[in-house]
Amino acid sequence: MNVSASARRQRRNALFFLAPAACVLILIYLGPMLFALRASFTAWIFTSPGSENIYVGLENYSDVLTSPELWSAVQVTLIYAFASICCGLTLGTIFALLLDTQFYARSFFRSIMIIPMVITPSVIGIFWKLLYEEDSGVFNTALRGLGLPGFSWLDLAMALPSIILMDVWQTTPFFMLVILAGLQALDRNTVDAAKVDGATALQLFRYITLPHLVPYMLIATSFRAIAAMGDFDKIWLLTGGGPGDKTTTITIFAYKTGFSAFDIGRTTTIACIFVVIVLVASSPLLIRLFRSALEDRG
Amino acid sequence: MSSGDPQQTGKARMAAMTALWTIIALVYLFPYTWMVLTAFRQPVDTLAMRFVFTPTLDGFRTIFIDSNFQLYLQNSLLTAIPTTILVLLLAAPAAYSLAHLNKRSKLFLGSVLVARMVPGIAILIPLYLAASRAGLLDRRMTLIVVYCAFNLPFAVWLLRGFFREIPNELREAAIVDGCSEFQVFWKIMVPLVGGGLVATSVFVFIGAWNEFLFALALTQSNAATAPLAVIGFRNEYGVQWGAIGAAAVMISTPVVAFAVVMQKYLVRGLTMGAVKG
Repeated sequence: MNVSASARRQRRNALFFLAPAACVLILIYLGPMLFALRASFTAWIFTSPGSENIYVGLENYSDVLTSPELWSAVQVTLIYAFASICCGLTLGTIFALLLDTQFYARSFFRSIMIIPMVITPSVIGIFWKLLYEEDSGVFNTALRGLGLPGFSWLDLAMALPSIILMDVWQTTPFFMLVILAGLQALDRNTVDAAKVDGATALQLFRYITLPHLVPYMLIATSFRAIAAMGDFDKIWLLTGGGPGDKTTTITIFAYKTGFSAFDIGRTTTIACIFVVIVLVASSPLLIRLFRSALEDRG
Repeated sequence: MSSGDPQQTGKARMAAMTALWTIIALVYLFPYTWMVLTAFRQPVDTLAMRFVFTPTLDGFRTIFIDSNFQLYLQNSLLTAIPTTILVLLLAAPAAYSLAHLNKRSKLFLGSVLVARMVPGIAILIPLYLAASRAGLLDRRMTLIVVYCAFNLPFAVWLLRGFFREIPNELREAAIVDGCSEFQVFWKIMVPLVGGGLVATSVFVFIGAWNEFLFALALTQSNAATAPLAVIGFRNEYGVQWGAIGAAAVMISTPVVAFAVVMQKYLVRGLTMGAVKG
């Protein structure tokens, strides 16, 4: 068989297999994003017809970029993502280490520990309200039972830590599972050899287990960072972004601008800025994944 | 612990570890336990924080009889299942192509990665405007198409990893034997990545079932999915905790049960997608 003919056919087949997925991505991703980019240069208000054709150049961008609301939302989003990941990673690692030992009904405990990870986030958002309730809430009743003062969990100072706590509760099992998989891929011979050489448990963790886990931690962290930056449902239903704008993340800010003010020009501007922020923040991960995918030729 | 029978100490240690895990699980899962209890409690018992109470099905009665909760559940099922099937149908050929036919298709690979990072809100407004102009708001079909696109990048990426585990020689041998590319894909590759397809569908189904933002923006009363149903019980008569608990249990039980049963695949998908790149 002619080599170049077969190579050509393979290339044609490759495109044929990719085409359906590519069409959907172009239609639902690329199209809307280009549309948003165009709309971000207009003074489009949904309720006033004709305004979609009034081009205002970079006015939306200068408006949005100089508005304190945006920077407050960026700050809330970054604090939320950062704090939630730090706590979730630490707690998840502890759980994974504790699960990676021998005890009775181990697989049962592993199974039930993943429950928070898959519960519908909107349900969590609504339900944690009952836990955070100031007078009759579960947490405060428990605290008072222990003789401690209760908190105003959702006031100006506590609202952000409270949504972080809720997110940590939901996402810790994710870190636990990824790190547990890492622990199970750890070479037992190395560990045994170190034990024979008299390494203490702490040294074992510091010099063997932890370095082995770092790539797992990094990847889990990157994926959580992307997801946490786009979080909406739990926060929206628990606090609605309030009090004030204390828990207004970028997604909530954009949603409010779009669906209560109907300001399409500004909303799409926020969305475009958000995409840039997320892509810049995730570029190390993107580059790493892209490289590893290209290096590997099967 | 240095003295005595080593097997005995091993057992004691295991028992201690089991006790520790029992405490961790009880404390950590308390919010979930509390939610399930709330579903079967009278509001009085919920507010009084009683652990011992006479169970009631009033909450379930409220959501199924006084409100139209079954419609939400039905919408969720009829959205999540077609989404899962459609994603597999679109993602599997693309992933196969990336893994075996055109391994250096930089453009597509790059787009898949970038699309995966794009936050939902960025495409929501344009999709909302397009759907509202085309009269496609509040239709299950619209949600299915959007969910399908939203889950596609992840599914392609995940499945690509599974297809890559199959040696390319298998494909070459089949081609030499006279198989067409489609036959290789359908008769040889797809059966071999069965586990990968299950893992992918677990993630897509859970994602589609739990999705809230697009459902909130793109549906009203006809196509609204279960995650939206909880909102209704907060406004009408103050907060109906029994009803919220019952709805919470009805919405989360399918995914929780699904995830626990499919746990092996969930872990496989996480490590495949997360660690191997």
